Amino acid sequence: MAKRPHALLLKYPGTNCDAETSRALEAVGFETQVLPIALLESHALDNTQLVVFSGGFSYGDYVMSGRFAKLNTLAKVGDGLQQFVSRGGHVLGICNGFQILTQLHLLPEGSLIHNTSGRFICRWAGLKKNAASPYLHALPDEFELPVAHAEGRFVGIDDAAGQYVQNGRAALLYTSDVNGSSQQIAGLQDETGRVFGLMPHPERFTAKQHHYDPDWNGDADHGWGYYMFKSVREAV
Amino acid sequence: MPDPTPKAVYRHVPISGLSGDELLALSQRSKLSLSREDMLAVQAIFKSENREPTDVELEVIAQTWSEHCKHRIFGSRIEHTVDGESEVVDGLFKTYIKQVTERIIAKKPDFVLSAFTDNAGFVKLDDELAVCLKVETHNHPSAIEPYAGANTGLGGVIRDILGAGKGAKPVASLDVFCFGPPDTQQEDILAKDVIHPLGVMRGVVRGVRDYGNRMGIPTTSGAIQFDDTYIYNPLVFCGTMGVIPIKDIQKEVKPGHVLIAAGGRTGRDGLKGATFSSVSLTTASHEEDQTAVQIGNPIEEKKVADFILAARAKGLIQFVTDCGAGGFSSAAGEMLSETGGEVWLENAPLKAPDLESWQVFISESQERMVIAIEEKDLPEMQKLADIYETELCVLAKSDGTGILKVKHHGEMVCELDCRKLHEAPRRHFKTEWQNVDADEEGCYISFEDPEAGNEMLKAVLSDFAIVSREPIIREYDHEVQGNTFLKPLAGATGDAPQDGSVIRVDGSNQLVALGLSLLPELGKTHPHLMGRACVDECLRQLVAMGANPDRIAILDNFCLGNPDDAYELGALVETTKGMAQSAEIYGAPFVSGKDSFYNYFKTDEGPISIPCTLLVSGFGVVEDASHVVGSSIRKTGSKLFLLGQLASGLAGSVFARMVMQGSEDPEEDGLVFPNAPEFDEQASFASYKQYNELVKKGAVLSAHDISEGGLAVTLAEMAFSGKAGIKVNLGDIPTTVELQPAEYLFGETPACIVFEVAPEHAALAESLGFTAIGETTADGQLVIIDDENTFINASISELKPLWQNGLTPYY
Repeated sequence: MAKRPHALLLKYPGTNCDAETSRALEAVGFETQVLPIALLESHALDNTQLVVFSGGFSYGDYVMSGRFAKLNTLAKVGDGLQQFVSRGGHVLGICNGFQILTQLHLLPEGSLIHNTSGRFICRWAGLKKNAASPYLHALPDEFELPVAHAEGRFVGIDDAAGQYVQNGRAALLYTSDVNGSSQQIAGLQDETGRVFGLMPHPERFTAKQHHYDPDWNGDADHGWGYYMFKSVREAV
Repeated sequence: MPDPTPKAVYRHVPISGLSGDELLALSQRSKLSLSREDMLAVQAIFKSENREPTDVELEVIAQTWSEHCKHRIFGSRIEHTVDGESEVVDGLFKTYIKQVTERIIAKKPDFVLSAFTDNAGFVKLDDELAVCLKVETHNHPSAIEPYAGANTGLGGVIRDILGAGKGAKPVASLDVFCFGPPDTQQEDILAKDVIHPLGVMRGVVRGVRDYGNRMGIPTTSGAIQFDDTYIYNPLVFCGTMGVIPIKDIQKEVKPGHVLIAAGGRTGRDGLKGATFSSVSLTTASHEEDQTAVQIGNPIEEKKVADFILAARAKGLIQFVTDCGAGGFSSAAGEMLSETGGEVWLENAPLKAPDLESWQVFISESQERMVIAIEEKDLPEMQKLADIYETELCVLAKSDGTGILKVKHHGEMVCELDCRKLHEAPRRHFKTEWQNVDADEEGCYISFEDPEAGNEMLKAVLSDFAIVSREPIIREYDHEVQGNTFLKPLAGATGDAPQDGSVIRVDGSNQLVALGLSLLPELGKTHPHLMGRACVDECLRQLVAMGANPDRIAILDNFCLGNPDDAYELGALVETTKGMAQSAEIYGAPFVSGKDSFYNYFKTDEGPISIPCTLLVSGFGVVEDASHVVGSSIRKTGSKLFLLGQLASGLAGSVFARMVMQGSEDPEEDGLVFPNAPEFDEQASFASYKQYNELVKKGAVLSAHDISEGGLAVTLAEMAFSGKAGIKVNLGDIPTTVELQPAEYLFGETPACIVFEVAPEHAALAESLGFTAIGETTADGQLVIIDDENTFINASISELKPLWQNGLTPYY
């Protein structure tokens, strides 16, 4: 049997979705390791195929979300993540992880700011694929995932958001306005496609019973989130 | 120049020569909240030792003996009089909670693993795992500082779970609030500096949101009650459920163990919280008691939580408890109560350098846990603390002497015999309760106008008691941890109400349902029935969601105004007795509970008390994910069944209150509702077991309890799933006596559940004794008729916005 690919989940103080994200990755065949940031050293990236930034509130997100996580990550690994990506590594950021990846400039330029409502929102959102991505290929063109965030509204300078929709950097869009995000952007990828960040939570929809409607079928054996992890499992 | 050598800051307080009056004056001046009898007992303790107490010792005793920590009213001897008949209650807790639970445990072994001994009681989930639940109130702090009060209310109960067993993992939270009505006019508030209900509500919700969301614990269940009396004393209940391996429940401090404190630093925030919450509020409280409210930092707690769970997994924890009310004095005091030991206050990391000795010892600064470990494990613990970036200090060592010795920079600032510390003088009370006259006739509500039923239903659906809590629910992350299998909002569009929530447990095939009930309106006139109905409603929600009726445990949280008022305390005793009666028949043990007194406010026009308020929360085992049942109608063409039978009486209902509020003088207008609907626990429990058989066979598509708003609201809420209409014939509904239409539609009889069954299972439901009352339809209407009349015929799409958007303008 082939060796299972390795996923490294970085855990900052305040990261709180690492356990369920790890569980979801294991279900599609990853071997996972949750690494508290205090133990992070640059060689930790040498033997992994996927680095995951899970959801939560790193360092409380009292300043701009992801800001402290970025500073501490850079202090630990410098440009190690960029090198990891150029070696062919995959990087996934979910919710707060997306915010951190944006801060780290691993994703197209832009910011994730407070929702237009000024509130935290916990609900389900319709999503549609806008470009090919190794994280999305096992999913249908439209699907649903839960969202839960206060700062999920993507904004870019000038018409950056419009360009990302055009050139496929904006791989994932909401089907309706959820948080005021420009162009209804829900997820972005870098030019290689190997770095992907999204606000919705695929790890919260891995089983059918996760859906709010007990009659949900979706012609699938699992929740849509499962297929997102399965996509990246097949890609690495 | 600051003094280069830090010293203990304490003093001796001469009390040996003081009279009773002088002692009481000292207690009040120093905000000790101790009575004259308590102070005399304190005086006697130190007289026997031939010395004067230090200020540290007085503060320790005040915290330890406070109502908040010791629950002395529930332990007191009460001469209870109802309708002129007197009896002696020898301890409410012992008689109606502990002994009831002990009898249930004896009949039902192998379910409850611990009760009343730890931070929270545990029940068995499967052979490996146990579940616990704890609910706390944070009323006084939330009244004067809503955001911080509620924030630390949730933070505190989460720590209770982290300190249960050798550290349980928090997996879900609930929150229940009682507020003044959102549309209260400012000029109607009778005391200055009282925060308007809107300010309280917004602050409290955000406080809960910011703590729960940052901790990554889903807030999945809740409720809000609105009443004028809560303007002055809002109630904030916060609860958290935890999971632990059964092998990690038992814990013990042994001589030689080192006590470490981990987490946040100690500061001046939260001084005297325990004694502050053991007196009534006044306008002055809003000015003077700000330091009693703690300041929360959820990330500090998240770090210490990760640290504790990692340390427990490595087997390093011998005992753990949280720093709650009373701070180190209660945490270390509890841990050293058997063995005794020495505490070194100078080791505690401080937020500010100049704290006095007593302040370090009783500060209720948040996010601190105290852990007993073997001394050899200290380096390993330090390593884990570094990994999870939490601060750690050696606070004390257990020594087997039985004496609590507190040192600060080498000086002994407190030396107390632990046994004396835990022997507070017993209190005595008298009550007087008068039941309403059961023979009095209630008024008759006319449905002659063909639109009357529709209009009444619309008014009830728009009432604050009924409207959707959606704006609030959406602010809580109720899905983090990825285990919320029944969400607080569900149905075809994910916005219809549910009876509670169901949480999957990692590592088990069984799930846990969370439910709760509070019915303060009913308790104003029928406290005994309220106690019974609260137990029933909580249990019934759990059963409706798919829990096994034999595997349910409950918690009691009482809030009362002034316990020295014979009438108010009488209501409390009646409530407790009612609650105990139902719990015993249902075999639902109490595994934890708490009480909060002095929820009254001294305005210039006299004191205003809250009504006797009981929250019964509970958790039940759902044995398979396929047993989970939601409240939303799933299909057209299904049969609707009723479990239970409707009874007569509208007292305490949302409908009765609404009708009375619509009148200048309800009594003059003949709007009296003396009677409340009765139920029979024996019969109800048999029905719950039958219903559970149907659930296990997969025959129940959806189910919703009849609660506030009555049958009409239950049916409307089920139809808010958006999948089908409903048609019900009242003539098919079993009743105990003949009912008037308003009682059918809006009466709140306990022990009733409406459930949906596919046509192919209808015969099975009938064979188990349930009555078909109607069906689901394709026309999108809610229709309620009898053989001659149409009472309600309304479009569901017209009803739903009234319910869904009722709170939106206010939140």
